Amino acid sequence: MIYDFLLQLTGNAAISSLINSIIPLTFIIPFALFAVYLERKVSAHMQDRLGPMRVGWHGWLQSFADILKLLQKEDIVTADADKKLFNFAPVLVFAGSYAAFAAIPFSSAYIGTNLDLGLLYIVAVTSLVVAGILMAGWGSNNKYSLLGAVRSAAQIVSYEIPTTLVIVTVIVMTGTLNLHKLSTDQTSSFYNWLIFGGYAAGWHKFALIPSMFVGFLVIFISTLAEVNRTPFDIPEAESELVAGYHTEYSGMKFAMFFLAEYANMFAVSAIVATIFFGGFQSPFGYLGNTLGISWLRPIEEFFWFASKGIFFVFVQMWLRWTLPRLRVDQLMAMCWKYLIPIAVVNLIIVALIMVL
Amino acid sequence: MTYYTVSFYLFAAIILLSAYFVVTTKNVIYAAFNLLLTFFGVAGFYALLGADFIAIVQLIVYVGGILILLLFGVMLTNKITDTEIKTGAFQVLPASIIVGMFSGVLIASMTNNRWIVSANTPVAADTLRTIGNILMNQYILIFEVLGVLLLIALIGAASIARK
Amino acid sequence: MTTYFKNIYTALYTLFVGMKITFKHLFVPSVTIQYPEVKLPMADRIRNRLYVNMDDCIGCDQCARACPVSCISIETVKSMPTEDLGKTSQGKKKALWVTKFDIDIAKCCFCQLCVFPCPTECIYMTDAYEFSEFERSGLNYSFVTLNADEIAEKKSNFAKMEAEKAAAKAAPKPPKAEEPASKPAGDA
Repeated sequence: MIYDFLLQLTGNAAISSLINSIIPLTFIIPFALFAVYLERKVSAHMQDRLGPMRVGWHGWLQSFADILKLLQKEDIVTADADKKLFNFAPVLVFAGSYAAFAAIPFSSAYIGTNLDLGLLYIVAVTSLVVAGILMAGWGSNNKYSLLGAVRSAAQIVSYEIPTTLVIVTVIVMTGTLNLHKLSTDQTSSFYNWLIFGGYAAGWHKFALIPSMFVGFLVIFISTLAEVNRTPFDIPEAESELVAGYHTEYSGMKFAMFFLAEYANMFAVSAIVATIFFGGFQSPFGYLGNTLGISWLRPIEEFFWFASKGIFFVFVQMWLRWTLPRLRVDQLMAMCWKYLIPIAVVNLIIVALIMVL
Repeated sequence: MTYYTVSFYLFAAIILLSAYFVVTTKNVIYAAFNLLLTFFGVAGFYALLGADFIAIVQLIVYVGGILILLLFGVMLTNKITDTEIKTGAFQVLPASIIVGMFSGVLIASMTNNRWIVSANTPVAADTLRTIGNILMNQYILIFEVLGVLLLIALIGAASIARK
Repeated sequence: MTTYFKNIYTALYTLFVGMKITFKHLFVPSVTIQYPEVKLPMADRIRNRLYVNMDDCIGCDQCARACPVSCISIETVKSMPTEDLGKTSQGKKKALWVTKFDIDIAKCCFCQLCVFPCPTECIYMTDAYEFSEFERSGLNYSFVTLNADEIAEKKSNFAKMEAEKAAAKAAPKPPKAEEPASKPAGDA
């Protein structure tokens, strides 16, 4: 654990906690820069375009150029905006999405806090994002912002239910909500990942596989809706609402919303990867183990964790350029008529299998 | 001063200040967002007391559910912020008598009660499992009755909304 | 109930069909052309910037007269009888010094009407289309091959010749006094 190492190094709990809590930020910011670039490249190539090509080799410095541009931009606060709420909203949104990283295990050597209720904690702190979005929508004093914020909040509140139901399914199976324990339990090979029935013994394992696939699909769809990505991007619907709740924001405040969005994308991808795809576990085995280098293993684990997370972020982008946006009624029908009943039935099936 | 005491007084200050603003502010939206801070501070208290499950449920239910619904109601109501909110003092004498009596009861119970001070009682390692066991064994009847009550409330709300 | 499950099936099936298509397109070569580095070939009859081949120009002024927006301005000076201006590539004899041949491409409407009347086919449209300028005056192209000294010389030569002619006409006097002296100058 990095925290223990820091505690030894500094000898002060407060300082080591502070450093420990900043570590995810050193991952999120480069990740956001990379994800913006990836998004532009993926979208471009899916539409047979090239995307950014000018700044650096194949435009790889494009995100840095964007950040430089955003830093130079004027920080516009509209005259009729509610200035306190307007200025505080981006902070709250980013704080909410950053707080989720406290319980995500990046590797066996690093987890912000080894919470027993990690999964539930993530669901809880995401509600701060909703409050922040509503604050942004109201503070902007703009009807498009307000509509976007209200839509966003309705969507996130609704889609929390299927997410939580799938999480309950996972509790029924594993008996833990600790993400670190969840990851360490799915050890040794991809055969032990929860999507392949986990480490249950005998016929239970094979009986669980279909339910696990259903659970994976449900939680992937509902978390996609929670981060307001296409096809569930009605809060930001460009063609209807300009940009939704961040219409009035410019410069670094806009950048904070963007950072929060990409941090959220990675957080939900990491949760899906941790629950169903073994978290930081390698699918094959570790080079560090075979070579006998003990410090190599955590680095490898981080590599697998980051690649799984980025793969699901890529799938989110892939879906974005495949599907058109849903209507509001379709969105709600999808949640209440399809995802929730399926998740409930799935929960009952898993519970029955586990009892038998 | 340990970090524990520092965070305790921090959360206490957050709760008191935000609760004060909830009561005194004339802007409904500000009141709602200050309520968010109050809930957050209370969740922090629960976390400090080692009741991590209660803290998280506090966040999920109050911040994620009730407060969002409250904000929804405020935002979807036409021009609610323009209406005059009366926060003047009415019935000062009876109110102060009742408040004085109530605070007297509170202070008396606070000073006379023998609080169980046990800073070194180990917090249950797996609160979720403990709570689950208690709910499903000891209080199973109450738990089920509460579930039925909530179901009735749900059905009632749906049937009223359909009319 | 059947429609319910049918909906789920259609949703998943169409989702995977769509994802397959977009994934294929991820590897389709892009249609974007990296413009300043790569340029599309232009059609043969493309109408872009005008060019005048001054070796062939005989200064006939027909293009300037054809231009609907008057973007071409030409001035010519008669050559001395002793001077040989050479021939055009089609064998036509040149007789005029072209002292000014300006095309204001900012005014040009790319109608190509100036190209058809040219008897020597020396004015034509090229495929050059990147000629933006910071100053509008930069779009005024001059095609004259003579430099300023030469132009002044030709003009003074012509003026001298005119003066000599006028003097020659004025000196004998007797034959025809009523001949107007300004007539030869009318072709400028």
